[in-house]
Amino acid sequence: MDHYIRICDIEKYYGSASHATKAIDRLSFAVNRGEFVGVMGASGSGKTTLLNLLAAIDRVSAGHIFYENIDITELSEDALSDFRKNNLGFVFQEYNLLDTLTMEENISLALTLRGVAKKDVQEASAGLMKLLGIEEIRDKFPYQVSGGQKQRCACARALANDPKLLLADEPTGALDSLSSQTLLETFERLNKTLRTTILMVTHDAFSASYCRRILFLRDGKIFHELLRGEKPRQRFLQEILDVLSLTGGSAGENL
Amino acid sequence: MYMKLAYRNMKRSARDYLVYLLTMTLISALMYTFNSLLFQNDLKKYWDSEEMMEVMVALATVFIILVTAWLIGYMVRFMMEKRSGEFGIYLLLGMKKSSLANLYLRENILLGFISLLSGILLGILLRQVLMAVLFSMMGMAYRLHIALHPGTLIMTFVSFGCCYLLSLSRCRRKFKKMSIHSLMEARRKNEEIREKYEPAKRLLLPLSILFILLFWKLFGSLESNGDTALFLTGLVITIYLFYTGLSAFIICYIRKRGSLIYRGANLFLLRQFASRVRTMQFTMGTLTVLFTLALMGSSLALMFGSWQALLLDRKYPFDILLYSSDPGDTFEREIQFLEEKVTPLEVYPYRIYTDGDNQVNAWMLTHLSAWGTMYQNPDGSPDMAQISDFLENRGIYCLCDTYMGLSDYNHLRRMLGYEEIELNDNEYAVQIKERLEKEVQGIGDDLVLAGVPEAFDPASGSDAALAAGTPLLTCAGIYADPFSQDGHNGCDYLIIVPDEVLARMYPYYSELAVDIEGTAPPRLREELDTLRDARTAAFREADSSLCGNMGYGSDIIFVFLAVNAVKDNLTASIAYMLASVTIPLFYISLVFLCVAVTVLSVQQLSDSANYKFRYDVLRKLGLKENAIRTLILRQLTAYYLCPALFAVVISGKMVLFAGERFVMMTGVPVSSYSFLLKSIALFLGIYLSYFAVTCVSFMRNIRGGLH
Repeated sequence: MDHYIRICDIEKYYGSASHATKAIDRLSFAVNRGEFVGVMGASGSGKTTLLNLLAAIDRVSAGHIFYENIDITELSEDALSDFRKNNLGFVFQEYNLLDTLTMEENISLALTLRGVAKKDVQEASAGLMKLLGIEEIRDKFPYQVSGGQKQRCACARALANDPKLLLADEPTGALDSLSSQTLLETFERLNKTLRTTILMVTHDAFSASYCRRILFLRDGKIFHELLRGEKPRQRFLQEILDVLSLTGGSAGENL
Repeated sequence: MYMKLAYRNMKRSARDYLVYLLTMTLISALMYTFNSLLFQNDLKKYWDSEEMMEVMVALATVFIILVTAWLIGYMVRFMMEKRSGEFGIYLLLGMKKSSLANLYLRENILLGFISLLSGILLGILLRQVLMAVLFSMMGMAYRLHIALHPGTLIMTFVSFGCCYLLSLSRCRRKFKKMSIHSLMEARRKNEEIREKYEPAKRLLLPLSILFILLFWKLFGSLESNGDTALFLTGLVITIYLFYTGLSAFIICYIRKRGSLIYRGANLFLLRQFASRVRTMQFTMGTLTVLFTLALMGSSLALMFGSWQALLLDRKYPFDILLYSSDPGDTFEREIQFLEEKVTPLEVYPYRIYTDGDNQVNAWMLTHLSAWGTMYQNPDGSPDMAQISDFLENRGIYCLCDTYMGLSDYNHLRRMLGYEEIELNDNEYAVQIKERLEKEVQGIGDDLVLAGVPEAFDPASGSDAALAAGTPLLTCAGIYADPFSQDGHNGCDYLIIVPDEVLARMYPYYSELAVDIEGTAPPRLREELDTLRDARTAAFREADSSLCGNMGYGSDIIFVFLAVNAVKDNLTASIAYMLASVTIPLFYISLVFLCVAVTVLSVQQLSDSANYKFRYDVLRKLGLKENAIRTLILRQLTAYYLCPALFAVVISGKMVLFAGERFVMMTGVPVSSYSFLLKSIALFLGIYLSYFAVTCVSFMRNIRGGLH
């Protein structure tokens, strides 16, 4: 199997030497090219920390993260910036759109920062807006559109640099159910048609049911893993809920 | 409880708005320092009759109170907006609006009180600096003298109190109108970017630029006051509309997808800049006005300062020079008096002569740039009717031309340490004010000065002077060494002729030049004036000053007619008068500048939460730390430069115009550009300090709490 991302024995501590909090505890797993992986867990289980480490926004305390053959834990700050710029796309719960830019400009900026020529920027952003169905609101500012539209714009921006990995942190957290469904279907479509590798952190079982594989995290460790295989989504959702009903309560109480 | 809350909130505000706190401290320090000139002026004892400094400082204080009140009002509204969410929570928890208003007022007053107290402490030190500067301007030594004066303290408290009273009076009303919902919503609304009618608004930019170009072309040539007032009103409107136009222009450019936005982070920068300028276009306009006034004030102060530094010493070359309108005066009592008061090294009485004609006066009035074409006929010839009227009524030139004998002239030159000159029998020389030297180069070609006829009988006097066969004199040179030509040695000019030529002229008035050892006692001039008044009371009936042998020349800005000119007294006295103009001007400029830069800084720093988020997004998009730092620097530079550059463009024209006039009228040997450039340099010093503080704090805010 083609291991696209390898996470080897990573640890992350916060705080001082005397009061260290272990957020990630000797975690290892791998993500294959074109996978749609979900990470679930209760609050404090370490899922956002894991995402930040994968996104190279935060540094590991120990261990290694390989993207193909590149160990990002060994890269300098500047090299990490370049790495992020060229390889990763982000979608966050709070959209993280720039309020001074229109929808189209938010997408274009991600490209101009990479030095893409004017014509290519225009073509690429038009294509992405079409792909995500936000062409009609291209000239609107974030405050003028709905949460779902904002999130789709954030998604388009994340895809603008043709990322090796799309990282999504609770992308449906601030959306209504219909918008959530539209976004998740978009993710699914991207994954299937464009073979985009996606890693999504969520605590919502419905969102997770769109993934092909789910890692359950507790106290910074993977304690369970679910594979969707050829199962229909509804059944997979039931399986997720079963895992959560078995473990969710205790995970919460442990916090 | 409220007091504790007010104290805590005040502490937070002081931290968040440190630049504002520092500026208020600086302003109160400046207030204390300059108010001390009203109550603790150590120099006043030397010039108790001069009230100019007091009047000017009081006038400056009025403007400063108004501008400071604007700053406080602005900051109070600004902080209120930023904290609207917090105020909403207080109301939600059941606090009454009146209590909330009181809490907020208390916080602000507490903040003001802290800056006032620290400002006074700083002011006590600054006062020593100011006094030392003032004393050195007068050429006197200053001994440190630290003292608190109740008058200064009360005045500072009252001025500062006025600022707060003016600005906080509307605050309570604002609280009354607030609702919890609007408070909670206020912050979100600030973020909204309204774009309407941008293509139409964009036209304001070229229109403003056109008006500014017109202003550069026409300012100075406007003739009526009405036109000037209309033009200046247009200018103020243009200043405000410029920013609407600029922001709309950028927005339209972005909408048109201009090539520039596809380079690096330009899109981000341009959008950021346009939205900032849009939301605070009125404030930006006011800041531009303040910067313009500050630049003009400091340029004017520099003009006066340059005159003092470069020309004041040259204005009174003689230690003591006394005038008497009586051509036969021998100055016996004055000489006797001076011998008692000072140690004269040389005492030299002499006379100024006239031939009764006024062809030199007429030449001056038709050739000097100070008079333009006012005294010329349309064909360029002298308009003698107007010239006679001018000479009789204005008292600027003597009624008749003024001459001096070569031997007197050389004697005086020796006294001043200049080289003596030589003249042949058929030659004359012109002694002119330095300022006018270039303008009188052609005088030798025009003047027809008569020498002494061969068969001249001195007994018959000047009536025979222009008899047939009188030889004409030619001009042998023009001398422009400082020579006290404000009514003493002529007004603007003296024609130097061989002594024999004087035989056919009238003695016109008398002068006494005295060279003394050391410096003159402080009030010698007044004592000489008293002596003269007493002595000439009987003579006044026949005082020929009334017949026109007195004037002060074509100087316009600095005119100081001193019958008894005592160099040491006059230079110090004039320096003091100049200081009473330059110091309040600097005071106003400094405060205006600080107020304006503070608003700029606070605007940027208080929004750092928003900026932090935006830069964080850019970081996530892969922008490197260095690139982010550069971006921040570019953003701040654009924001800081815009109103400053605009102010330089506007004030530039006015300063250059005033500077040219000033140089022309006073003859200060500097370029009119130097005033503007020096002002900009001074301006930059303060500007850059604020910019540096803002940059550092901004970067810290952006970096803090990331990830």
